Amino acid sequence: MLTDLTDEQLLRQTLAGDEDAFTVLYHRRQGPIFRFALHMSGSAQIAEEVTQDVFMFLLQRGQGFDAERGALGAYLFGVARNYVRRALERNYPEMMLSSPVEDEAASLLVENDPSEGIARRQTSAALWKAVLSLPEHYREVVVLCDLQEQSYADAAAAMGCAIGTIRSRLHRAHDMLSKKLQHSAAVAPGMASVTARCTS
Amino acid sequence: MTCREFKHSAAALTLWELSRSRDGQVLGHADACETCEMWLRKQRSLAASMRTLQAQTAGLEAGPDVERALRAAFRRTAATSTASPLSGVERYSDSLPLDPTDGLTPLAMRLSRFFEIGAYVAVAAAMVVGVFLGVQLLQQRSRASGTKISPVQGASVPASTQPVAQKPAPSLVEESSISSPERQPVTAAGSRVRRQRPSAESQTAAAAGPVVADVSQTSTDDGYVALMFCDPLSCSSDSQVVRMELPATGNTASQGVQPQMADVVVGYDGVVRAVRIVN
Repeated sequence: MLTDLTDEQLLRQTLAGDEDAFTVLYHRRQGPIFRFALHMSGSAQIAEEVTQDVFMFLLQRGQGFDAERGALGAYLFGVARNYVRRALERNYPEMMLSSPVEDEAASLLVENDPSEGIARRQTSAALWKAVLSLPEHYREVVVLCDLQEQSYADAAAAMGCAIGTIRSRLHRAHDMLSKKLQHSAAVAPGMASVTARCTS
Repeated sequence: MTCREFKHSAAALTLWELSRSRDGQVLGHADACETCEMWLRKQRSLAASMRTLQAQTAGLEAGPDVERALRAAFRRTAATSTASPLSGVERYSDSLPLDPTDGLTPLAMRLSRFFEIGAYVAVAAAMVVGVFLGVQLLQQRSRASGTKISPVQGASVPASTQPVAQKPAPSLVEESSISSPERQPVTAAGSRVRRQRPSAESQTAAAAGPVVADVSQTSTDDGYVALMFCDPLSCSSDSQVVRMELPATGNTASQGVQPQMADVVVGYDGVVRAVRIVN
């Protein structure tokens, strides 16, 4: 069964011309890549483009992957990170002129339990907005470690830096996020009161 | 455990591990220290918010068009393995023709790329026009400085003994006592000396570097023939024009022929730079 194969085995078969292996690999990995790009950019369109670009890159230059240097998942996150950066740089002027990406990000949130109400949605929207406002290298570690639940080692492999760097950046990013969330609650006290009322 | 050790231990844990921490030392310090307890509470609150955000975006995936386009690209690259792998790639959400050299470019860049190329073309055109105008301006200036060299009244000074570049006008001119009547009065020494500083253009041109004279152009309109090649050090300095009588040969002297006169441009170093036969 193809689904029992590891990512590396699937990649080998894909590069040998096995379309089914590619399909299995795509279904296994496209979700995390898409969500990584989505959390980084706040735009579903950019996230889809990045996902397509990452797998096109894998088809064309997959031979360059070295399993001894890290897992395929980390490798794909590394490629996606570069594509996201490039997309954000290219789209920066358009994003500044059009509506803020945070609005789109908030609209993408899916509430699984409607009884939880608007409070959770607002909290998540505020958090995502805070994440999007972080400097890029802090945002990357938050998205990889906190939202994608990658280990420090995998995040370090994806970002090409030391584990200690990941730790220190994450620590700093958490402090920044806490301050931003406090600030947003202070600016919009209504939101805080709604949260308090709904959770009590 | 100190606050420093507490922070160090906390930094080693992920947000999830920290929020579920059962580490007795960490919790014990947080219970004892209000600041650290506050910090831990914030981290746990943040972890809970992260968990919520993660749950609300967990179901999001790329659309089916992405997979369709990738599979089509996979088949084409497999079928045309000899061709460029990028040539068969289809974009899922647009019908613009794909640039083969730009297969990995995200879709959102596509439109802005046209503007980018337009900007490059505009900059290139501006540079070409700028270079053209600059060359024109330089040519005009070189022509203007060439005509500015005017002979000092009395003795016509060679317009150019450096035919290639702008030559400074001879600045020290001595008029011979046998000059024409409308010329300046003659001094007791038989000659009148006037100084003329070189123009700004000539100084600039002189400083521009050595000049290699074109031998075919060493004769000027004034009838001067350059006798040497000039360099800025020697030719930009003051010079004199001296009218002198050429020594007659034996035959001409005995036949009573009128003596031959010549204007000679002599540099301050005594070297003759140009000569003109007067009659």
